Amino acid sequence: MNVKRAISKTSVHVVLVAYTCLALFPILLVIFNSFKAKRAIFLSPLTPPLPTTFDLIGYNRVFSDGAIGTYYMNSIIVTLGTIFFTLLFGGMAGWALSEYKFRFNKVLGLYLAIGIMVPIRLGSVAIISMIAGLNLINTLTALICVYVAQNLPLAVFILSEFMTQIPKDLREAARCDGLSEYNIFFYIVLPLLRPAMATVAVFTMIPVWNDLWFPLILAPSGGKQTITLGVQQFLGQYVTDWNAVLAALSTAIVPVLIFYILFSRQLIRGLTSGAVK
Amino acid sequence: MAQVSISALKKSYGPVDVLKDINLDVDNGSFVVLVGPSGCGKSTLLRSIAGLEPVNSGAIKIGDKVVNDLAPAQREIAMVFQSYALYPHMNVEKNMGFGLRFAKTPKEEIKARVTEAARILQLEPLLKRRPRELSGGQRQRVAIGRAIVRKPQVFLFDEPLSNLDAALRVNTRVEIAKLHKLLKATIVYVTHDQVEAMTLADKIVVMNQGRIEQVGKPLDLYYKPANLFVARFIGSPAMNIVPLTVSGKDTAKTKSGAEIELSLPASVSKGDQITLGVRPEHMTVTKGKGILTAKLDVVERLGELGYAHLESESGERLIAELRGEAPGQTGDTLGLNFAAKDIHLFAADGTRL
Amino acid sequence: MSRGRYWRVLAFFLLPAVVIYSAFSVYPLLATIFDSLYLRHQGAPETFNGLGNFYTLLGDTTWSKPFWNAFLNNCLFFVIHMCVQNPIGLALAALLSLPQLRLRNTYRTLIFMPTMLSVVIIGFVWQLILSPLWGIWKLFLQTLHLGFLFGPYLGQEHTALLTISLISVWQFVGIPMILIYTALLAIPDELVDAATVDGLNQWQTFFHVKLPLIWPTIGLVSVLTFVNNFNAFDLIYVTEGALAGPNYSTDIMGTLFYRTFFGNQLQLGDKTMGSTIATMMFIFILIGVMIYLFLIQRRMQRYSF
Repeated sequence: MNVKRAISKTSVHVVLVAYTCLALFPILLVIFNSFKAKRAIFLSPLTPPLPTTFDLIGYNRVFSDGAIGTYYMNSIIVTLGTIFFTLLFGGMAGWALSEYKFRFNKVLGLYLAIGIMVPIRLGSVAIISMIAGLNLINTLTALICVYVAQNLPLAVFILSEFMTQIPKDLREAARCDGLSEYNIFFYIVLPLLRPAMATVAVFTMIPVWNDLWFPLILAPSGGKQTITLGVQQFLGQYVTDWNAVLAALSTAIVPVLIFYILFSRQLIRGLTSGAVK
Repeated sequence: MAQVSISALKKSYGPVDVLKDINLDVDNGSFVVLVGPSGCGKSTLLRSIAGLEPVNSGAIKIGDKVVNDLAPAQREIAMVFQSYALYPHMNVEKNMGFGLRFAKTPKEEIKARVTEAARILQLEPLLKRRPRELSGGQRQRVAIGRAIVRKPQVFLFDEPLSNLDAALRVNTRVEIAKLHKLLKATIVYVTHDQVEAMTLADKIVVMNQGRIEQVGKPLDLYYKPANLFVARFIGSPAMNIVPLTVSGKDTAKTKSGAEIELSLPASVSKGDQITLGVRPEHMTVTKGKGILTAKLDVVERLGELGYAHLESESGERLIAELRGEAPGQTGDTLGLNFAAKDIHLFAADGTRL
Repeated sequence: MSRGRYWRVLAFFLLPAVVIYSAFSVYPLLATIFDSLYLRHQGAPETFNGLGNFYTLLGDTTWSKPFWNAFLNNCLFFVIHMCVQNPIGLALAALLSLPQLRLRNTYRTLIFMPTMLSVVIIGFVWQLILSPLWGIWKLFLQTLHLGFLFGPYLGQEHTALLTISLISVWQFVGIPMILIYTALLAIPDELVDAATVDGLNQWQTFFHVKLPLIWPTIGLVSVLTFVNNFNAFDLIYVTEGALAGPNYSTDIMGTLFYRTFFGNQLQLGDKTMGSTIATMMFIFILIGVMIYLFLIQRRMQRYSF
């Protein structure tokens, strides 16, 4: 009986290890090879970079024109801006919906909830006209507006769920203490929501950072590209330069990987709480 | 039905020993209750008997078979869980017959057994309902029904009444006692409630920190607890405890210096620390002098019965049972009396003298 | 609180979110649907065309051929995800949820990693690996004695869509895995114990006890897959370009939409037809979501604990 158990236990691990290798191998391959000279990439792709084969030529090309730095900044600005406004406006709306029982509370809730399922990309035609009309083509502002709109429904939903868990007594006591409604929200509710906000932030961050569609149609040039679009354009340009290509990919991969490993727990929690609707 | 015997059972989770050298015999058809505070190992022991937990060493025998290496289903046991563990997506009938489907029991046999169990537990009108639609007490009966249907050698109950409200608990307790007589089943039952233990058990096993403190009939444990732990665990309210120092051949002094006459065994000598124990129901309060003196703190009246909470001269908190009015007011100094036969004495290490 | 103040407070809290959402999410969608009812004329204002655009899209060969091609490709894309991605996700979740599995969180974190990366990166990485020039994939197949299976998948009509679908599956397996894993964790331990006592082995416990209890999550995963697949664009754009070659074999609704609206070297951008395609996509997605809401949400009632 114990032997049978041991066998099934090891086979479970064998399967999981095998799949993990499958999941990680392509990524690691690219990163390793980005540090090798061109000959080594082709002749011995599977070996890690050795002192003899180590070569940063790809990275030189990627970083030479300095645009990469700008692209990263753009992505950071867009992502942080989106998170900030999503949390702020989403929190405010979620608070109003969960706290105040007004006549069209439910209808409004439903109106916002529909946005969770409906993909915003389909309205791109009109979005472009609007952005162009507002003279915001090739700005990061346009991207932030669109992403906030896209993420608000889910943020409102998740945050209002968390808010219902804040004890009613706390808010009543604050009212008795003479705090205005605005103060109650900013000084009492918002600080208590920190874990929920961390969840929403993390859950929002990844799709915004990785998105290609909106940077492509709203901010494709003028130094306002996000890193995702920037890498895509760079790759399109240097398609035959393997060193540069591998280096560019690695430059895009590594920060995300590091970020992910640091925050994996929150990320996964965010994903699951978002889906339990 | 079969007997269960456990010898030299040890179990540990890593460096922590949860069961330390357990030896226990459960006679065929008897109702044995494992009782003790949280973390004492009673549930772990039960689950080890069931086969849901592996053990490090020692043997478990059900009937004549050593079952250490057998899966739960092969041990011919049935278990009733604290949260009932009913399959939410099946109705009552399917829940009860579920296990038998996998034992490849013929359909008619399954139906017969389920019908019989439903009859015994009065579940007939509920057979087509889902667990969601049942009350706590009804769900508990379905869980018991599922166990009965398996026709096991031993029934294992894991704190089955904990999730029921007080009134329902009393009713279901009686039901379980009646079931035991009807089925003549061998039952091992875990609870943290000593009232359940006292009322249901043929034999009680008091456990503490992975060890068995005492095994015996309920009244044996009540009248002759083997150590201080058992003495305080059995009986509600708990036994009164007064630490004493032996001062002479037949005397001992309290912390405040009051001397008490006791018949001490030869094993104690002058200067030894011992503990005196008297149950609240054996202690009387009087206006005059008593063996001990104490100040009245609070009187709790439960109708005809009441409890006087006092603080002795030497600082111990004591409880005495009251029939009728208290002989004094809060703050009064009163005397406490008790008969010699109601005295329990314990050595410094807690064992009975 | 006075009535006036009450409404002011509400407005303060609600307006920013509602305005941004309505302006950038709801209005554009409605405008797009509205647009699809118009016909575009070169250098002249648009005229109302009722459902004319739709007839053109579905009936007129210049439009309908690429449309149905894209639609069928999208369906195939979806089917492959349902048949490969979700079962693998389910299997991984089942393995991860086994009691007393060591390194569980490590596996989960590592397997989920590809999902974190941008589709652009993933697309390119796989392009490199599958490239005949580098030969990595060829090497891999050869070690498995399957070398004869190798070919320039992304450049061949009959393999391109399948390859891209599998790349997408590879990337997104993490999502069904995590969602189903969480649902499996929610199943009370005692229920599994009861099944063990009832005599079920691991497989039987999974199929007869766990699986019925996670159907709602599987339904959710399915609808998420559906919405994501019919909205997909990035991977194909990155690997095959806007023209979704070879020979439109990897064209799906998203790329068709992009191409129609923005135009490319072969045709001018067409705002109204682009809107029409977007509206069609919206209708499809809406139908899928409706099916989910009615069919699966109702069944969810049966399984609460």
